[in-house]
Amino acid sequence: MSKYHGIIFAYSDAPELGDLTRERTVASLPFCGRYRLIDFALSSMKNAGITDVGVIMARDYQSLLDHIGSGKDWDMSRRSGGLRMLPPFGLPHAHSGNYAGTVEALNAVAPYIRDIPQDHIVLMLGSLLANIDLSAAIAQHEAGGAEITAICSEGSSVGVNHHYLVDDDGFVNGIHLYRGDSAKGLKSLEGYIIHKNVLLRMMDEAAARNHYAFHRHAMLNFLEDGGRMDVYRHEGYVCAIRNIEQYYRASMDMLDAEKRRQIFPTSRPVRTKTHEEVSSYLGEHAVIKNSLIADNCIIDGEIENCIVFSGCRIGAGTKLKNSIIMRGVTVGENAELSYVISDKYASFSDNTRLNGNAKLPMVVPKRAAI
Amino acid sequence: MKKSCIAMLLAGGQGSRLYALTQDVAKPSVPFGGKYRIIDFPLSNCANSGIDTVGVLTQYRPLQLNSYIGTGQPWDLDVSDGGVYILPPYQKQDEKGSWFTGTANAIYQNIAFIENYNPENVLILSGDHIYKMDYADMLREHLAHDCALTIAVQQVSMEEATRMGMMNVGEDGYVYEFEEKPKHPRSDLASMGVYIFNWEKLRAYLIADENDPNSGKDFGHNIIPAMLANGEKLWPYRFEGYWRDVGTITSLWDANMDMLSTTLINLYDPAWPISSRSPVCPPTYVGEDARIVHSIITEGCEIDGHVENSVLSASVIVERGAKVVYSVLMPGTVVKAGATVEYAILGENTVIEAGAVVGTAPDGTDGWGVATCGPNVTVPAGKVIPAGAMIYSGEEG
Repeated sequence: MSKYHGIIFAYSDAPELGDLTRERTVASLPFCGRYRLIDFALSSMKNAGITDVGVIMARDYQSLLDHIGSGKDWDMSRRSGGLRMLPPFGLPHAHSGNYAGTVEALNAVAPYIRDIPQDHIVLMLGSLLANIDLSAAIAQHEAGGAEITAICSEGSSVGVNHHYLVDDDGFVNGIHLYRGDSAKGLKSLEGYIIHKNVLLRMMDEAAARNHYAFHRHAMLNFLEDGGRMDVYRHEGYVCAIRNIEQYYRASMDMLDAEKRRQIFPTSRPVRTKTHEEVSSYLGEHAVIKNSLIADNCIIDGEIENCIVFSGCRIGAGTKLKNSIIMRGVTVGENAELSYVISDKYASFSDNTRLNGNAKLPMVVPKRAAI
Repeated sequence: MKKSCIAMLLAGGQGSRLYALTQDVAKPSVPFGGKYRIIDFPLSNCANSGIDTVGVLTQYRPLQLNSYIGTGQPWDLDVSDGGVYILPPYQKQDEKGSWFTGTANAIYQNIAFIENYNPENVLILSGDHIYKMDYADMLREHLAHDCALTIAVQQVSMEEATRMGMMNVGEDGYVYEFEEKPKHPRSDLASMGVYIFNWEKLRAYLIADENDPNSGKDFGHNIIPAMLANGEKLWPYRFEGYWRDVGTITSLWDANMDMLSTTLINLYDPAWPISSRSPVCPPTYVGEDARIVHSIITEGCEIDGHVENSVLSASVIVERGAKVVYSVLMPGTVVKAGATVEYAILGENTVIEAGAVVGTAPDGTDGWGVATCGPNVTVPAGKVIPAGAMIYSGEEG
């Protein structure tokens, strides 16, 4: 058994993702042809040998439950331990319906946290797009002797909320909250390696003061009380997807070989739910350039700069450009789509014309028929 | 609980006519049609037909097959009262362990396994056929005609008939004679090697056959003729769908090419999925200068070259300027810049270095054939591998 227990936060919603998260949490947003965002956190844990994992969710989690199932695709369907889905046990009345902050989410599942058999906990966001080497982060945490190790990024990372300032010894001595991409300091990926007792103490203090936020309240208090927090610098592509433009850009970034290699390194494979699939067939009229094509597609059209998920049918004479076509979408013949994000099982009849814009791709909702 | 029917899948053959492709693996675990291995077809047919207990008889290089089948989870065969079992030969009390000496002997040696499930009928399958068949429908006919044995048959041309096991059928519709590779066929119904036996009868014939020192312990040569000689009722189950034996290089290549046509066999039918165990890979990346026409691609590939009329398994790389035509590329093969692969089968993780040429288009001569590279072969830069060549792993191109 790993000495570490994983907790993944999958409760956050993002109003700016519009129709894409109307029926799902950000963590279950489909990404790159066959994945959901939570696959990256689950796979990071699995690749570090952590298979006892709790997933905290609050609402709109049907698609998340469907995707994760028993957790067997991540080897987390275990006789003892394994994966546990943690829906709200009961929220205070007059509550907005979602957790106001990470500490509130943790306190809502406090009995689960207290019963964790391991002494150490890894906290991760279910909505972060990054392939983090948790084994390396844990090794550094164990060598460094800090109570908390925060997972950070030095490079450009879109959508990050918080930043850490570190002293000469490499320990955190300040936090910049919600300063946007341009702020100074290390970018927080909101992943932490923490001793269970330290986390429980933070949760108790926050509950006593009616605090709900992890960074603004619990973390600042921890630092003010002289707590030692180390940082682990993650190298490689990172995006915290919070709006449609970021989702679109991160998807298109996967057409870049180097970024794709950073997200899908062969040494740390990303696992996901396996479907009944068959290879894709590209027909006589198919012309495909700079695109990612998943399995179980039948394609006879022209596709350029696109991400095509599994199970799509693209007719002859149809031109798809700069678009993201999710699972099970059907596009008839002689249609033209550009800068479109089509959600699952949408269908487009022959000769359909749809144009979005790189800054504002047109989102076609799930099961829409056009 | 008594089961109506369980399946026994004969996967022990060496598959020697696939040469380099079965140097290290059993024939049923040879990759096929992009996403699959050959054994996925009978296993998926079982699962789709509601047969939840399958014994897989192995003896030739079974390691890969064992790990591939595992618990049977990809085929939904990981059930509590049944499941998929690998059955290698084993030693019994007071006797030396022995290899399976024939198809009938393989089943004879596993009578105890079958008795565990107390089935009324036993379905016998081969591990080297590509087809989608509803065994439940065949079982219904078997029961309706109250026979000892039902044999799936397919109509073939008279020329093909001389190379196959043929069923001569009487006016009542029952089989009265079985002829192996007849010089002068009297029927056009060929056995597909798919049998449903009444278990009680089969067990009696297996025991009698085992005690006959002159028997070859084979279903086609011994068991079926013995049943006919004793007047047992044999019914032909006529199957009209796609069915191919992929026991030779040419037939394996042909059947792969057939997968390019959904009218021959539709693998995209959600009502009859063919399942497989495959590693999760990112989607295939198709580059700016790539050209892929009339081909099958599978996840994890990186294609920057020209691919036409070909079947590509997972994680294949075709570099810029490389050309792959009328070929079958198994998982993990790499075709480097400027190399040409034509009318060829490349085994798993084969590497074709820059500028090398493997195979040629048919030229009408007798010497022509599909060029084949076994798994893990590296064909050096600039090397030319002629049509019909067979390159084994260990040989350097």
